[in-house]
Amino acid sequence: MTKKINLVKKASKTFLLTGVFLVILSSIVLYVFTRDLLENEIEEVLRSTEYRVAGALKKNNTVYSLPPVTEVHEVEVLGEEIIKDTIIYDPSEDEMELFRELSTYKTINGKIYRITIRDMVVETENFLYAIVISNIAIFILAFLLLFYFNTTRNLKLWRPFFQNLDQMKRFSLTSKAPLALMDSDVLEFSELKNEITVLTNKVRSDYESLKQFTEDVSHEMQTPLAIIQAKIDNIINEHDINERQFEQITSIQKDIQRLKQLNKRITTLTKIDNNQFVNIEEVSLTDLINEKIESFKELQFANLVYASKQEVTVSMDSYLADILINNLVSNAIRYSKKMEEILIITKGNLLIISNFGEKALEHPEHLFLRFYRESKDKHSTGLGLAIVKKICDLYGFQISYQFEVDHHIFSIDFTKELK
Amino acid sequence: MKMLIAEDELDLQQSIVTYLKRDDHVCEVASDYLEASEKVALYDYDIIILDINLVSGSGLDVLKTLKKDKKKAGVIIISANNSLTDRLEGLDLGADDYITKPFHLAELSSRINAVLRRGKYGGDEIIVFNEIRIDTKARTAYIEGNTMALTRKEYDLLLFFISNKGRVLSKEIIAEHLWGDDSDLLDNFDFIYVHINNLRKKMTSQGAKYIKTAYGSGYKFIED
Repeated sequence: MTKKINLVKKASKTFLLTGVFLVILSSIVLYVFTRDLLENEIEEVLRSTEYRVAGALKKNNTVYSLPPVTEVHEVEVLGEEIIKDTIIYDPSEDEMELFRELSTYKTINGKIYRITIRDMVVETENFLYAIVISNIAIFILAFLLLFYFNTTRNLKLWRPFFQNLDQMKRFSLTSKAPLALMDSDVLEFSELKNEITVLTNKVRSDYESLKQFTEDVSHEMQTPLAIIQAKIDNIINEHDINERQFEQITSIQKDIQRLKQLNKRITTLTKIDNNQFVNIEEVSLTDLINEKIESFKELQFANLVYASKQEVTVSMDSYLADILINNLVSNAIRYSKKMEEILIITKGNLLIISNFGEKALEHPEHLFLRFYRESKDKHSTGLGLAIVKKICDLYGFQISYQFEVDHHIFSIDFTKELK
Repeated sequence: MKMLIAEDELDLQQSIVTYLKRDDHVCEVASDYLEASEKVALYDYDIIILDINLVSGSGLDVLKTLKKDKKKAGVIIISANNSLTDRLEGLDLGADDYITKPFHLAELSSRINAVLRRGKYGGDEIIVFNEIRIDTKARTAYIEGNTMALTRKEYDLLLFFISNKGRVLSKEIIAEHLWGDDSDLLDNFDFIYVHINNLRKKMTSQGAKYIKTAYGSGYKFIED
């Protein structure tokens, strides 16, 4: 995965990079072009002066010399024409200045002259800098303004997109609140909005019908189960059956009991999904745990130890609180032997239940999934912990599982997330 | 006792009738809403077992008419719906008990007896079975006038046996009656044996040998 960058930032970045590139490129072009132009200009000036000097020589035969600007010397032989830069002391400014120098040889009236014309380059260089710098300044200013308008405009333009994206992030199947999608005069955004609406509606209705289906199925199973149950009860009492048949029939009853449990748990899960538990009250976990321990003791589970009994109260549906504790404790009971201690601790905002285990779970990440069973325990419906997780999710409690020092440890943090 | 079983699933209806007839109850049946309304309007029953989802109407409407006409019948709702709101709605309308499908007929029988007791004697009933006398208000059992020191579970067990006397009760049914859903945690029902044995000992020490073992893993409460 590459690093993700915000859309507006990315657009701005492109814009700014283009800007910087254009400033540099245009400055170079402008610099080179103006410099050549100015050089040509100076050369032209030099040549024109040289022409005038030569003209004056021809006409008057007088040697004009005004060093360092104009120098005329009579020489013996013709030489090559040279154009070059030179540095000459300027007494007015008391510093060395750059001059452009043109030396040519001319034969005028039978004599050979070397005419040297010089012109100061400084001014043309100043022009050059002035032009390039103002170009850069104009460019930067223009770009900053454009950047500002572009960014604000972009933000405005993309607002429906960002708002709808935000809504999508908050979309939850279980919540019935409709999505507050923003319409836009931009065709694509408007289309996107419509598609999202269609899609979310479809997902929701599919989810609803799936939930309804689950509920209906488990509901419809109750009656046939009741019939089987009733018939079995009568068979045991009416007919002459032998011991073996009785065992088989009671084993069928156990299976019915399992189906009954399964149904009940699926219904509970669906009801939590449907937000049917709305009675929130203050539940004392301490009292609830004490009660549970008492009732489990009647079932000969005397290995429950309530170690640290700090008072913990939680605001939630009391029926769900009961299921929560019951499922966690029965899970611990199911996976430990009668003699092994099951430790229950309430502390601060925490509930911790731990039981001995020989080895860590192979797939702790699947622990809270529906119908996931770590071992092939036929008594388990595989829904107990899924319900625990669902209840925690409903109220924003944090549940975690660890395996430490030969113990399976489940802990729930009842501190609700501040949203 | 005269009872009406209003249940549109004929198999279930007949099974209930078969089971209850063994207690010498007179059982009439209604297979849909109209039949149920008609019978309730015409006759008096001690107990009405009412399914909420009847083919052509709701059992709750039958219950409403019944209460409007101030009939004294005890009503036990049987429903596939076990949500608390449905349960409360039924009980608020004046039903005496509510039992969710699937249920054991022994459980139904036990609930019927409880409703009958409450209806007749205003919650202060004495059950007598030969030399055994149970004061259901004080939750105390006596044999020939002597108090039996029973634990809560032993008391419930004795009551369950008497409500289903003459019938075989498996350990599973007993466990479910006494501990409800938590009983599915158990690998075996040996501990039921402990409870039953304790009760049996307390009874036989006074000469009441009514608890018999049936088919090795079931129990039956019968007179010799």
